[in-house]
Amino acid sequence: MLSSMAAAGSVKAALQVAEVLEAIVSCCVGPEGRQVLCTKPTGEVLLSRNGGRLLEALHLEHPIARMIVDCVSSHLKKTGDGAKTFIIFLCHLLRGLHAITDREKDPLMCENIQTQGRHWKNCSRWKFISQALLTFQTQILDGIMDQYLSRHFLSIFSSAKERTLCRSSLELLLEAYFCGRVGRNNHKFISQLMCDYFFKCMTCKSGIGVFELVDDHFVELNVGVTGLPVSDSRIIAGLVLQKDFSVYRPADGDMRMVIVTETIQPLFSTSGSEFILNSEAQFQTSQFWIMEKTKAIMKHLHSQNVKLLISSVKQPDLVIYYAGVNGISVVECLSSEEVSLIRRIIGLSPFVPPQAFLQCEIPNTALVKFCKPLILRSKRYVHLGLISTCAFIPHSIVLCGPVQGLIEQHEDALHGALKMLRQLFKDLDLNYMTQTNDQNGTSSLFIYKNSGESYQAPDPGNGSIQRPYQDTVVENKDALEKTQTYLKVHSNLVIPDVELETYIPYSTPTLTPTDTFQTVETLTCLSLERNRLTDYYEPLLKNNSTAYSTRGNRIEISYENLQVTNITRKGSMLPVSCKLPNMGTSQSYLSSSMPAGCVLPVGGNFEILLHYYLLNYAKKCHQSEETMVSMIIANALLGIPKVLYKSKTGKYSFPHTYIRAVHALQTNQPLVSSQTGLESVMGKYQLLTSVLQCLTKILTIDMVITVKRHPQKVHNQDSEDEL
Amino acid sequence: MSRLEAKKPSLCKSEPLTTERVRTTLSVLKRIVTSCYGPSGRLKQLHNGFGGYVCTTSQSSALLSHLLVTHPILKILTTSIQNHVSSFSDCGLFTAILCCNLIENVQRLGLTPTTVIRLNKHLLSLCISYLKSETCGCRIPVDFSSTQILLCLVRSILTSKPACMLTRKETEHVSALILRAFLLTIPENAEGHIILGKSLIVPLKGQRVIDSTVLPGILIEMSEVQLMRLLPIKKSTALKVALFCTTLSGDISDTGEGTVVVSYGVSLENAVLDQLLNLGRQLISDHVDLVLCQKVIHPSLKQFLNMHRIIAIDRIGVTLMEPLTKMTGTQPIGSLGSICPNSYGSVKDVCTAKFGSKHFFHLIPNEATICSLLLCNRNDTAWDELKLTCQTALHVLQLTLKEPWALLGGGCTETHLAAYIRHKTHNDPESILKDDECTQTELQLIAEAFCSALESVVGSLEHDGGEILTDMKYGHLWSVQADSPCVANWPDLLSQCGCGLYNSQEELNWSFLRSTRHPFVPQSCLPHEAVGSASNLILDCLTAKLSGLQVAVETANLILDLSYVIEDKN
Repeated sequence: MLSSMAAAGSVKAALQVAEVLEAIVSCCVGPEGRQVLCTKPTGEVLLSRNGGRLLEALHLEHPIARMIVDCVSSHLKKTGDGAKTFIIFLCHLLRGLHAITDREKDPLMCENIQTQGRHWKNCSRWKFISQALLTFQTQILDGIMDQYLSRHFLSIFSSAKERTLCRSSLELLLEAYFCGRVGRNNHKFISQLMCDYFFKCMTCKSGIGVFELVDDHFVELNVGVTGLPVSDSRIIAGLVLQKDFSVYRPADGDMRMVIVTETIQPLFSTSGSEFILNSEAQFQTSQFWIMEKTKAIMKHLHSQNVKLLISSVKQPDLVIYYAGVNGISVVECLSSEEVSLIRRIIGLSPFVPPQAFLQCEIPNTALVKFCKPLILRSKRYVHLGLISTCAFIPHSIVLCGPVQGLIEQHEDALHGALKMLRQLFKDLDLNYMTQTNDQNGTSSLFIYKNSGESYQAPDPGNGSIQRPYQDTVVENKDALEKTQTYLKVHSNLVIPDVELETYIPYSTPTLTPTDTFQTVETLTCLSLERNRLTDYYEPLLKNNSTAYSTRGNRIEISYENLQVTNITRKGSMLPVSCKLPNMGTSQSYLSSSMPAGCVLPVGGNFEILLHYYLLNYAKKCHQSEETMVSMIIANALLGIPKVLYKSKTGKYSFPHTYIRAVHALQTNQPLVSSQTGLESVMGKYQLLTSVLQCLTKILTIDMVITVKRHPQKVHNQDSEDEL
Repeated sequence: MSRLEAKKPSLCKSEPLTTERVRTTLSVLKRIVTSCYGPSGRLKQLHNGFGGYVCTTSQSSALLSHLLVTHPILKILTTSIQNHVSSFSDCGLFTAILCCNLIENVQRLGLTPTTVIRLNKHLLSLCISYLKSETCGCRIPVDFSSTQILLCLVRSILTSKPACMLTRKETEHVSALILRAFLLTIPENAEGHIILGKSLIVPLKGQRVIDSTVLPGILIEMSEVQLMRLLPIKKSTALKVALFCTTLSGDISDTGEGTVVVSYGVSLENAVLDQLLNLGRQLISDHVDLVLCQKVIHPSLKQFLNMHRIIAIDRIGVTLMEPLTKMTGTQPIGSLGSICPNSYGSVKDVCTAKFGSKHFFHLIPNEATICSLLLCNRNDTAWDELKLTCQTALHVLQLTLKEPWALLGGGCTETHLAAYIRHKTHNDPESILKDDECTQTELQLIAEAFCSALESVVGSLEHDGGEILTDMKYGHLWSVQADSPCVANWPDLLSQCGCGLYNSQEELNWSFLRSTRHPFVPQSCLPHEAVGSASNLILDCLTAKLSGLQVAVETANLILDLSYVIEDKN
């Protein structure tokens, strides 16, 4: 009986847990979310809207709750976003599953069959469902993303070829991100700060490597200053170390620096050795030798124009003194992270004091632009102007706030945003299975054919990043011509003019970029061959302005804003690289990729779109399990926009928005979003897969056994299903 | 071995601000801070119940650091005020009262946090831009060519801290000293980038306040016996100084991670002492007159140096090292061997001095920005309060040097600002709302809450049951004593406004601060002659007040935005 309760409760218990978590989390989700105050056992207070932090701060006892929190944490570690959405989505999925079992269980209850048997029956059923979920995640989801959703994607890059970032779209993306992460009176400021930071640190050719560096060393790259208003936060060129100079000698001109990881002054004995003193004179001579040696090394450094000594250990007084005498500034006791950051930026290995006395040049020095003390709120810091040898241009963020808790929140959010961007700038490989005997077959065939025209297929699966890009370059040139020719044809048509007139309401003076993107989308919708239109913006723009130059000021404004969002049609253009030879059979495996930088407007657009296409997919499905899983996921997806639109009323309430969206999809019209801002598709996709994995984990558990203290003692197999 | 223990689950509370407990604790805190505010503020005596130190104060920094706050929301509030005080020294109580008032007033309205926060932010930026603008009617430029305004600024700070227990005469004396100490820290021939020196506060408890004084250079306290032992140097030129940061006691320095084996009969002590005496010989040959050491000097070395008419002073301590380095121009020596000749510094002269019962060794600089402020007060607690006040005043002067403006004090800025905001929100709400989703009614409500919060700060200046009025031309504050007849001729009862800029001889209309008034335009742009003629103004530091205002509103916004409190019970 007990174990039966345990099993039957596995979904129920998980649902109860998730509902409690949802209640807490949903108060701080989205732009309307509020702050949560956490106290640490040490008495410090922390402000947070970070779902992961909140869940960890709760110190949950329930095993399922702990498992969920673990899943969220590992998801966050990777993506830096989506903890709150994770919980809400999981909760809705569990609700869906629970509803199904409730419906089916009632007759069973009446029959009153043996509970033990029923339990095992249920277990195997859960197992089936979890397998179906897994199949869905690995084989179906990618296909839907690729074949249906991708046509709605926008790109954050202003030109996909060079991957140049468009500042205004990055601003929109970050603003939407920080909306959910920091207090609402600060999110604009913080997102602006992040955006500035991003553009200041990047060189034109910096790639993913910069993200890695900034992500790894984010703690060292910012300085928190309490007691000042948040608006005093700023970005400082160069690196700010949270240390003071041990000795500071102002210098200019050709300045070099060295890094040391051990004391420069030679010691009597090193670890494991023995130094035998036989006479007083011997002691005095060795002391004298040590002194002379230190002096010589420092002099030598001076002769090499070294003006700054950075040390990870504490240097003896003697070294500091001779450094001062020789005009060398010293910073001591740096953490290993700080040292490794400096080393990564300037590519310098530590200086090892030469054993024998050498007059040669010291190899491990680097040029420094400046090094000076920086005073922030009467505390002194070391401010270094390093000359970067990598793509990262060193800048530090000074974060100000009235309390430490708020600064930590901002730091946390900035770090999360970096993680999110890091994920966004990756390409995503999509692998899926498709049925060729239904309608999809023709479309996939079409894709295949289409891609075959313009490029060779890259290696399936493990294709290096370099090659597809080259392919893309080739392809883009073709496409450019195509687009231009196509567009010429297009502008000769008379229809667009009329059509566009109807869209004028969107380009009201308070033009929001999403609105304008719809104008473009209209154009693309008018195009009969959607695939032809790549994200070549400029020809399109030129075309537009020539075609509708009579339109006047309002449209002009909208064209400026048009820079913001671009339409990526790459998703559908990308190659279908691997196709199994047995084309004629019912199944084929496809692999494709989602280009880096795909975004969608915020406000539950991704969820509604996926919901819509999943429902469509479910209708076509033949297997009951698959249909059921798709339906459950589709319905659970709507839970997220429901929470987001909770406070909205009237035209902007959730039902209205939903109906509008579905109507637009059915009639092939562009989606209208009431909110500005963009979100990463990559983040959403990863969130979806993480939640599904978490759910399969939950479903495969049939029993929770609590072991109290002494595992060796025989216990009743009592389970824990009460919360 | 460490013990692993399961973590206790945390306590999670929703809507923390609505609970009765939070409200009462907030109002208790508010009562404490309001009753301390201003020149007639009440003092608080803080002690911890186990005996020991008793602190009598009315300053926010002392008060909050001694208060033990447990509720997380209060902790946010107090730490943010403490952080503000540690960076600006002044306006802590103002910030605390304003923040408490804002939270209380806004809570009564029952609007959604989103609206409240957005509008509060708009109102704040309105205040900030007004206070920074040229047309601002409540700030005056600070003229560094005369001491008048600077003295007013210092005096206002001293009078607002009643726990210092100063008489009028003493206040004048101490303000003059503080100003002198500050001026001594400014380098004489500064070009472009100015690096200010330091004023060291030297305690002298149990003396009359009038005995306080400022001396250039550094005072090192010594016992009388030590001082007698020092031989007077008579030298017409400057004295050569060596300053050691390493120990001269003959300890054997770090020998590394391995072992050092000393054979029998070898005395390392002697070896080191030999080394020290060699060092002494070098100092003598370099004609050093004064040896200062942060740590301990070996008695033999000391004796040796004294024999050669060199003054040796040890155990100076790390706090004096930086000022000493700066004043003498030395480089702290960290070597027992050869000393680089350019690491010596110099002082103009040395002498001994006796203040009260204490004896000092006085280093007189050639030309330096270090000075010592000998501060006297009757007892410990009053001295502590006076020291804090002096530090505040010195800091405020530094801030004023950076931003040479001062705000009118005595509550006039707050009433003026409130009048300005009322007028702005009534006559030009569109410019504030712009494209927001908030309605005008919401704006009126929040603006009223904001203004009345500002005015209650002013209201807490009055502790003796008097009435507070405001005039309808300048928007300044006027206070009436409690026992004055109710209906009277206002100009006879009121002599001066809070800051002392205007007197009642002008044709003005007054009304009670708490009564409802028609919004009016407070006169902006102060006339120059008005500022010049007034010699006894009450002034506040602009930088500190601006930041206080910002911190108060930001903290209030933060607290109003809380939806849950998760308390970790481990």
